[in-house]
Amino acid sequence: MANTIMASTKPLFPSLSFTTPTSSSSSSPRVSLPKFQTPKISKTQLLSLSSSTLKSLSLLAATSLTLAPPSLAAEIEKAALFDFDLTLPIIAAEFLILMVALDKIYYTPLGKFMDERDAAIREKLNSVKDTSEEVKQLEEQAAAVLRAARAEISAALNAMKKETQLEVEQKLAEGRKKVEAELQEALANLEQQKEETIKSLDSQIAALSDNIVKKVLPI
Amino acid sequence: MNVLLCSINTLKELYDLSGVEVGQHFYWQIGSFQVHGQVLITSWVVIAILLGSAIIAVRNPQTIPTDSQNFFEYVLEFIRDVSKTQIGEEYGPWVPFIGTMFLFIFVSNWSGALLPWKIIQLPHGELAAPTNDINTTVALALLTSVAYFYAGLSKKGLGYFGKYIQPTPILLPINILEDFTKPLSLSFRLFGNILADELVVVVLVSLVPLVVPIPVMFLGLFTSGIQALIFATLAAAYIGESMEGHH
Repeated sequence: MANTIMASTKPLFPSLSFTTPTSSSSSSPRVSLPKFQTPKISKTQLLSLSSSTLKSLSLLAATSLTLAPPSLAAEIEKAALFDFDLTLPIIAAEFLILMVALDKIYYTPLGKFMDERDAAIREKLNSVKDTSEEVKQLEEQAAAVLRAARAEISAALNAMKKETQLEVEQKLAEGRKKVEAELQEALANLEQQKEETIKSLDSQIAALSDNIVKKVLPI
Repeated sequence: MNVLLCSINTLKELYDLSGVEVGQHFYWQIGSFQVHGQVLITSWVVIAILLGSAIIAVRNPQTIPTDSQNFFEYVLEFIRDVSKTQIGEEYGPWVPFIGTMFLFIFVSNWSGALLPWKIIQLPHGELAAPTNDINTTVALALLTSVAYFYAGLSKKGLGYFGKYIQPTPILLPINILEDFTKPLSLSFRLFGNILADELVVVVLVSLVPLVVPIPVMFLGLFTSGIQALIFATLAAAYIGESMEGHH
């Protein structure tokens, strides 16, 4: 493939083809290029030239400049954009070495570390779920204790209520008895008084009836 | 004659001034082979940056990550995500390849845009991003090709070559052609983008040295990141494609 690309690089120097017409078929891709020879002219020579010769020379220069760029480029340097050499395998080897080194330094240890941390976090999360069950149990226990306490309290309350009720009833009964006794006493008194008054009334009635009889029946 | 000489000299001066050095290399001779020195130097710097920062950040991992560790964890998760989306569930073994591909290209591209390479004068050529040399991009693209062939062959054995006549044998030439176009497009896309970006910046700087090149530079940073992501994603996609069963 490198050869095909190399062959495609040839049209990059089309203007050079007139110097080395068979360069595309030559085995070496590097072509020796003609150097542009610049004649040395001193300043005194420059000043001695007349304007007319300058004019004619400028025309010559204009035409020859069109031919100048390739040789100019050749003088500066040939541009080798698609220049394949030993750099390619060296870079490939460097890449492979870098890959192994980075794997040893970076990918494997850090990846392992991250995976382990992920696993640890997941485990912790799961254990947190377990403690939530524990919390539920504890809550249930607390609820049971509360229930027991409530039952105890209500039992005690009931007992107290019964006691107080009994006491109250006792007192009530006592009070009732007392009241009844008093009532009966009062009733007995009343009865006695009634009898007494009736007795006294009887004697008075007898006297009165005697008087009535004496007055009505004139004897 | 002297007018010609003068104009040529002015042209040469202008050429030197603009400082556009395309395709000029700082050659080193190794045996009978030549090597592009500037590419190797910058690639060493890039590798040093990657290894150094990784060592510093991951040396002593904390359960609650520090800032640098956090950044590297983010990058690793990003790489894993890219590999997982493109390759599927069996992405694990390919994380180093995809990750190194992304990080190397990304740091290379950004080093070309951010590091002041021009301060260091070379006798020939100039320092720039390693990825603006065709050798680097072709090397990476060929490694990708090798990687996806290896992935397919190790997963399915010789049955891997059955994919060339899928879905019909008529497509055989196109399927074979694909194996050549994949590395070609990968390498030329990266090479062209990075080189063009650096050229645009250099030309704009030579024309208008102030303010105007700045948006182009930011665009360059953006393009560099995108190119690194595209290269890594496509490499992962090719690997995933050769590993998946053809149903």
